[in-house]
Amino acid sequence: MKKIGIYPGCCFQGADIHNYDITTDFLNRMGVEGILLDRAACCGGGVIDETNKKIVYGLNARNIALAEEKGVDLYTPCNTCYMIIAKTKLALDSDPGLKEKINEILAEEGLEYKGTAKIYHTLNLIRDFIGMDTYKSKIQRKFEGVKVAPYYGCHVLTPNEVALDDPENPTVLQEILKPLGVEVVEGYQNEQTCCGYHARFTDPEQKERLAVKPLEGAKEAGADVVATPCPLCHKAMDGYEEPILQVTQLINVACGATPKDAFWDLNKTEVKISFS
Amino acid sequence: MKKIKYTAKIKRYNPETKESYWQDFEVEVEDSLTVLELLMHIKDKIDASLTFRAFCRSAICGSCAMIINGRAGLACKIQAKDKIKNGVIKIEPLHHLPVVKDLVVDQEPAFEKFKKVKPYLVPDPKVVPDNNKVESLVLPEEFARYDKQTDCILCMACYGQCNALEGDEKYLGPFQLTKVFRFIMDTRDGMDVEERIKLAEDHGIWECVQCQMCLAACPKGVKPGDDILELRRIAKDIGEENIATRRAKFWFATVFETGQIDKWHLPEVAFGDEKGKAVTKKLEEEFRSRGMKEDEFGPKPFPGIEKFRNFIKKLEKEL
Ligand code: SF4
Ligand code: SF4
Ligand code: FES
Repeated sequence: MKKIGIYPGCCFQGADIHNYDITTDFLNRMGVEGILLDRAACCGGGVIDETNKKIVYGLNARNIALAEEKGVDLYTPCNTCYMIIAKTKLALDSDPGLKEKINEILAEEGLEYKGTAKIYHTLNLIRDFIGMDTYKSKIQRKFEGVKVAPYYGCHVLTPNEVALDDPENPTVLQEILKPLGVEVVEGYQNEQTCCGYHARFTDPEQKERLAVKPLEGAKEAGADVVATPCPLCHKAMDGYEEPILQVTQLINVACGATPKDAFWDLNKTEVKISFS
Repeated sequence: MKKIKYTAKIKRYNPETKESYWQDFEVEVEDSLTVLELLMHIKDKIDASLTFRAFCRSAICGSCAMIINGRAGLACKIQAKDKIKNGVIKIEPLHHLPVVKDLVVDQEPAFEKFKKVKPYLVPDPKVVPDNNKVESLVLPEEFARYDKQTDCILCMACYGQCNALEGDEKYLGPFQLTKVFRFIMDTRDGMDVEERIKLAEDHGIWECVQCQMCLAACPKGVKPGDDILELRRIAKDIGEENIATRRAKFWFATVFETGQIDKWHLPEVAFGDEKGKAVTKKLEEEFRSRGMKEDEFGPKPFPGIEKFRNFIKKLEKEL
């Protein structure tokens, strides 16, 4: 059985604790053993930078080192964790001086950043780690005729150096959705507009203004539901007229889980779609 | 030289009829063209009315920023052949600025915001000599703090793709905020940091959603989104009290304590009022109804947390 290190970010705790169950259920159904990186710490969330940006490299070198200690790659479902951890990896792998300095400090915890672990997010995990054929083989039922609007969120496509697909013409999410039997709604208004999540506690009104935009676009294009890989986008955009789910919540149900097991019932905006 | 065939899909705007539409141009051209050269070819050979702005052709004047395949960049710096997707290259004017004609936008509204942040040095009489016989020295290590930021060529690619402007058209903009940071860092600047921060706060730093688009757009490798985080840090460090600085302090404190941010109490602390308390309380009720227990609410320190705390302290000191 293939093994992967599950990085626990803040999307696995507090009111979002069910995201952990969604993630482990997804991995089980894909035949991947998830190993929790239990001493991992917050990636910084783009907020620790506001105290001291240097800490962020250290935190994530340590997070990656914890995966390397267990001999596994690192997987996070969160777009922002993915972007920040991938940026750290790029910085360390291209700057031997920085790597050495951080490794000196890490040594006190008995850890070492080697640079061997890859960084995965749900999208490239399915494409490159699980493999599209294996992924398709696990699907047992289909959402026939259901119109789904893919919403990538920002941090899997920006900045360019960490983009996990061609940022100008991303297709990986559509390729993941199609085997679920859905009709993919593409090219809707504001499909690339940010969900605003990161303004939630800097300017809450700004978040409100943004979150609704892609949803309105998807609704206008006739989508029954929006599918995002990112738990933060989901959190920011749930609660308006158009429903949104995480793509793993759809996959789990397509692989046999009940909607309740996939926590559809926790949505503020109810998802009314059928499957066979 | 190899010739290739493809379609240039260009967004046009006719100011006389106020009509906006996409037009396809089929081209067969050398594969070595920049997007700007492609546009010049079309203007020359197919449609002389096609309008765009350009001057230096070498990524320095900042005139030719536009959106190519949904991403902002300089037409003179980007190779057309790298941008052909399924036989098509899509070109449109920058967003968030009024279109004058076709690919030409009116930069004035962005410059007006630029002026608002006082994008110039206010010489500090304690540092800058009062006569021009003596040099005003800046040490290399002092310059290094804002070296990258001085590379900005005011092309507005970042502005033309900024998500904060999607939410508030009054948002100052990425390059404007980078400029504020650049002058705060300048040892010769005499304007109070408080005053510079005030300017950056009006429809500014707190509205940025950290989407990273400006980093992706900038042809010069400037990182306005990162500079905005630095401005927020400075605002916090000079004692600014608001929802965002309370959140940043709490975030760091709980990560230091437990390794994770306590999302549970975050609303209460960040809002710092009855409204915040109500949010946390509502969460609490929701949780209980889901059968969760108190000790599952917030993060718990993991085993060996002492070592983690030492690690953070060392990073702060030594990195
Ligand atoms: S990171 Fe901030 S300033 Fe940069 S494009 Fe996004 S919202 Fe605009
Ligand atoms: S920061 Fe970069 S993208 Fe923005 S105006 Fe300056 S050079 Fe252009
Ligand atoms: S023409 Fe001067 S920057 Fe492109």
